[in-house]
Amino acid sequence: MKKHKLLLVEDDELDVISVERSLKKIDTPYELHTAYNGKEALQMLKGYKDDELPDVILLDLNMPKMNGIEFLRVLRKDERIKHLKVFIMTTSAESIDRSTTEELGISGYIIKPLNYTDNTKRTGSMEAFVEFHLRKIMSGGEN
Amino acid sequence: MKLSRQIFLAFFIVLLLSVIDSMTNYLLSVRVRENIEFLNRSEAIIRNSTRLHKGIIEMQSGFRGYLLTNDSTFLSIYDQGHKNITPMFVSQKELISGNSAQAKLLDSVYQLHRQWITYADSLVDARQDLSVSESSRAIYNRLFEKKLKKKIGKTLNDSITKLFARFDRTEYRLRNQRSERLLQSIRTTHTISVVFLSSTFVIGVLSMVYIVRLISRRINKMVALAENISMGNFTTVHDTARDELTSLTTSLNLMSEKLKKNIEDLEKQNKELNRFAYVVSHDLKAPVRGIHNVIQWIEEDLGHELSPELRKYLSIIPQRTKRMEDLINGLLDYARTREKTQPEQVDTYALVKQIAGELIPRTFRFELHEMPELFTERIKLEQVFSNLISNSVKYTKRPDGHIVITSRRIGDFYEFSVKDNGIGIAPEYHEKIFEIFQTLRERDESESTGIGLAITKKIIDDKHGSIKVNSQLGEGAEFIFTWPV
Repeated sequence: MKKHKLLLVEDDELDVISVERSLKKIDTPYELHTAYNGKEALQMLKGYKDDELPDVILLDLNMPKMNGIEFLRVLRKDERIKHLKVFIMTTSAESIDRSTTEELGISGYIIKPLNYTDNTKRTGSMEAFVEFHLRKIMSGGEN
Repeated sequence: MKLSRQIFLAFFIVLLLSVIDSMTNYLLSVRVRENIEFLNRSEAIIRNSTRLHKGIIEMQSGFRGYLLTNDSTFLSIYDQGHKNITPMFVSQKELISGNSAQAKLLDSVYQLHRQWITYADSLVDARQDLSVSESSRAIYNRLFEKKLKKKIGKTLNDSITKLFARFDRTEYRLRNQRSERLLQSIRTTHTISVVFLSSTFVIGVLSMVYIVRLISRRINKMVALAENISMGNFTTVHDTARDELTSLTTSLNLMSEKLKKNIEDLEKQNKELNRFAYVVSHDLKAPVRGIHNVIQWIEEDLGHELSPELRKYLSIIPQRTKRMEDLINGLLDYARTREKTQPEQVDTYALVKQIAGELIPRTFRFELHEMPELFTERIKLEQVFSNLISNSVKYTKRPDGHIVITSRRIGDFYEFSVKDNGIGIAPEYHEKIFEIFQTLRERDESESTGIGLAITKKIIDDKHGSIKVNSQLGEGAEFIFTWPV
């Protein structure tokens, strides 16, 4: 089975852990790389050879140094990496964020629930919520 | 032009016309008086003239009588004439002063009369001396032959009569001319009077209509503006006239613009505040979620390694984070009650039934009486009922709870009542419960965040309704609120 390679761009350690824990629950082989802001993610991407590039980028929007939208703009202008699949994972429900990123080209927009009780009702836990979406991403369903 | 100036001008024109009219009438009356005086004088002249002529004729008769009869009665008539005629000429001359033609005529008469006097005197003197001597008889006879027989006196007399006739004719003609002129001026004045009076009336009415229309049109504009402002449309009125009303319009426009700006500022600030509340609660929620997640992970991964004591302590944390989240949500709701939503047709019965179905436990008895149809903001009404019903459920800690909801119409409002048989509220707390963060019970024991009733009151206040509670401790509570039709 092909090993999925994910690049998580997220400044909140808790969310990083959430993703890590969720990935462990999915019985799909994976490789997770984490960058804490857009700048760091770009540097990492630059360091990869073409065959080392990640299959999916999970991108938070609200980050220091270089936020998600800025990162996405740079990414889509770079010939070598512009084709990469990007999923937005954010707590921002602002329609302007959604429309801006959609214009730049994204594969999915996932709003992280802030209200964990609502989330619990739906998917059990924050982690389960992330797992639910990751499963779809890893299986290529959400494209 | 200034309005006061326009009004002043209109009044001035009307007054001016009236004054001109009065002046014309006054001048006419002066002329009438003058003419009447003239006519009086003219009458006196003719009377005098007749008297004078008569006096002269009498004198001539006296003269002739004396010469023929030598009767001294005739002589006295002649002497009378001598005495009276000259003063009569003088007074007549005075009367006709100013009319040189007539004066000349009169002078000619006087001259002729003087000539006649000279002629008559010589004859009379000669006749008186007749008895004295023979020589005087000869003188008289000579005179008689030379003068009387040659009709000198008669020629003079005829000339005098002719002149008098001419004098009178002239005087009569003058009089006729004058009366004709008088009539003419009366007619002219009448015409002028009618013209001025009617133009005064027309101009007065026209300017009145003009000014009234001008003012009322402008005032109507401003009334419309004020109405617009009162309805929240901050329009302005364009006004190019430069008068007193313009400054009022300008002030109204300024007020409207200022109000518009203030309302816009307020709306902007409100928006910013809502945004602030949203961001704050958003950012407050994130750490709470983090804490919750970590506790969950500890329980999942290390649950079997934890001592019962630690597990107990850890279990407190989610309770508290839950309360924290409820508080944040409550604050968010409180901030959001300001947000306006579109009103819609609301079937209150169905709405309350649905809310009650979600909130009231199955063991409770629930009575829902007749409810009205309203055209209102559904979300707000839903929030009110939701808060009141959940409040009732919360404080009716018995399985046989009983909640009754009724409504009735009072004027422009509906009065709703939500009544329970719960623990009730002591009268001293009846005001306090509507304040934010007022929970009357122990924090742990109650799930209340103390925001629900504050939100409810805020929503009802915004609708200009009112809310109150009837309750005694241990005897259940009845919340009564009004909502506009």
